[in-house]
Amino acid sequence: MERRKFIKQLGGASTLALVGGLTLPAFSPKKQRHITILHTNDTHSQIEPFKPTHHRNANKGGVAKRATLIEQIRKENANTLLLDAGDIFQGTPYFNYFGGELEFKLMSMLKYDVATLGNHDFDNSIEGFQKQLPNANFDFVSANYDFKNTVLDTLVKPYKIIVKDGIKIGIFGLGIELEGLVGKKLYKETKYLDPVEITKDITDELKNKQNCDLIICLSHLGYYYKRNPKKISDLNLAKATENIDLIIGGHTHTFLPKPTIVKNKQGKNMLVNQVGAYGINLGRVDFYFDEIEGASAKGTTILV
Amino acid sequence: MKLYHFIFLFFVLVSCKKTNQNLIKITAKTTELDSSIVANEAFEKVISPYKEKLSSEMNAVLCYAPRNFVKNDGNLQSSLGNLMADLCYEIANPMFKEKTNATIDFAMFNSGGLRAPITKGNVITENAFKLMPFDNEFVVVELSGDKMEELISYFIRNKKAHPLSKNTSFLIKENDYDLKINGKKFDKNKTYKVLTSDYLQSGGDRMNFFKNPLQLTKLNYKVRDAVIDYFKKVDTLKTTIDKRIIVE
Repeated sequence: MERRKFIKQLGGASTLALVGGLTLPAFSPKKQRHITILHTNDTHSQIEPFKPTHHRNANKGGVAKRATLIEQIRKENANTLLLDAGDIFQGTPYFNYFGGELEFKLMSMLKYDVATLGNHDFDNSIEGFQKQLPNANFDFVSANYDFKNTVLDTLVKPYKIIVKDGIKIGIFGLGIELEGLVGKKLYKETKYLDPVEITKDITDELKNKQNCDLIICLSHLGYYYKRNPKKISDLNLAKATENIDLIIGGHTHTFLPKPTIVKNKQGKNMLVNQVGAYGINLGRVDFYFDEIEGASAKGTTILV
Repeated sequence: MKLYHFIFLFFVLVSCKKTNQNLIKITAKTTELDSSIVANEAFEKVISPYKEKLSSEMNAVLCYAPRNFVKNDGNLQSSLGNLMADLCYEIANPMFKEKTNATIDFAMFNSGGLRAPITKGNVITENAFKLMPFDNEFVVVELSGDKMEELISYFIRNKKAHPLSKNTSFLIKENDYDLKINGKKFDKNKTYKVLTSDYLQSGGDRMNFFKNPLQLTKLNYKVRDAVIDYFKKVDTLKTTIDKRIIVE
């Protein structure tokens, strides 16, 4: 009784506000979501920072420093994924002496979510890689390596779907052709399949069957080959396919100060990124989502 | 009542499905891990026992480099490449001799396989690991004259300082070449025994002429171990740019 009286007493002056209040549910701002993607590539067993005497990378890099930075970013946004595009192994004696054990242990401590295999990850043979997998509390994905007749059969999946804050993120992996790059006795019966064809199938699955909101490709194909422009590379893959939002690349040790915006087969903008090598840099891409009714998606603003 | 519930549930499901996630904005930022970032102590603790074990091994002084050895200081040869090819020959030839009673004619590797220079000063075990981080092993291939011609044309066409041991004397002219191996002119009707790595033998760096040789001998010895053996054996590294390759 008391409350009703109070409203009546407010009279005409408050009508406008009240109307606004009543219609509020129809205009209610939908939840905004924010996903942070952190990434590395070609870390090459660079556990420690480069020595102070190094001619180019003095004091740069180091896993313990990467841990500090990643921890900071996770505090900013809990909805963070950490990914790697391959060549985790080889480059310092840590690999030669311990076989990748420490690399995987530290990546597990850093809470990596998904990685793909680079050519150097076969350097202790496919068995050497498999032997270290118990140290990795994260998943490896590869869609174009057929591991059927190898020890990695069923251990490496084509893709992984992670749901963060209601956003469905599909992550698949692509590896480089191993013949001529890695000894056959190391990669054994691993079969290399055409990246473009595989990507068409996988992204169709992720986009249309699994209804992913975000599709990320972890690629060890290499950014682009100037002297061999037709060779499959991240830029060529981006142009020849659709549905990928972000390619995180590796292999060519390309340092991109910012991601490259590429028009995909549908003419839609997407991103290709790669952050050099040896864990000197940590890449970061932030995706912001609005909830909308129906399928009338608006354009995306890319600020890179 | 039950029907009413069903209709309500149906309505909820339909309206849920209608909500889509619309990607409205993407931003990006790459951060360099420079000295301003403090290392995480928990991680350093995990690394520390591994580090200690390694550093005692890696810092052992093996020999002395009176100057820098790099891979880009010559024309189709380099001080680093010459050092590598010569030391591999020197270490591997006695092994091959013991195994087969024959002699290796020359050694060939790839320029891309020289992974780090050796800088002036004390040479430590770590240098060997940086120069040769891969676990490639020595193989000796016996090549036919045809395969040798492929090797020669690859070398000329590729225009890279692929390491060749001092057994060769290779004059490269505009449209011609003259190759002597151990002082004798290259003879297409002969076969040659070439030292290389299992990586290159299996087609690495597109050195396809090493594939399917007349005879393949595995020495089961790591290239890096040979580098370490040699560094231990000598006091001072002396290899230089020389006349093994002359480009006219």
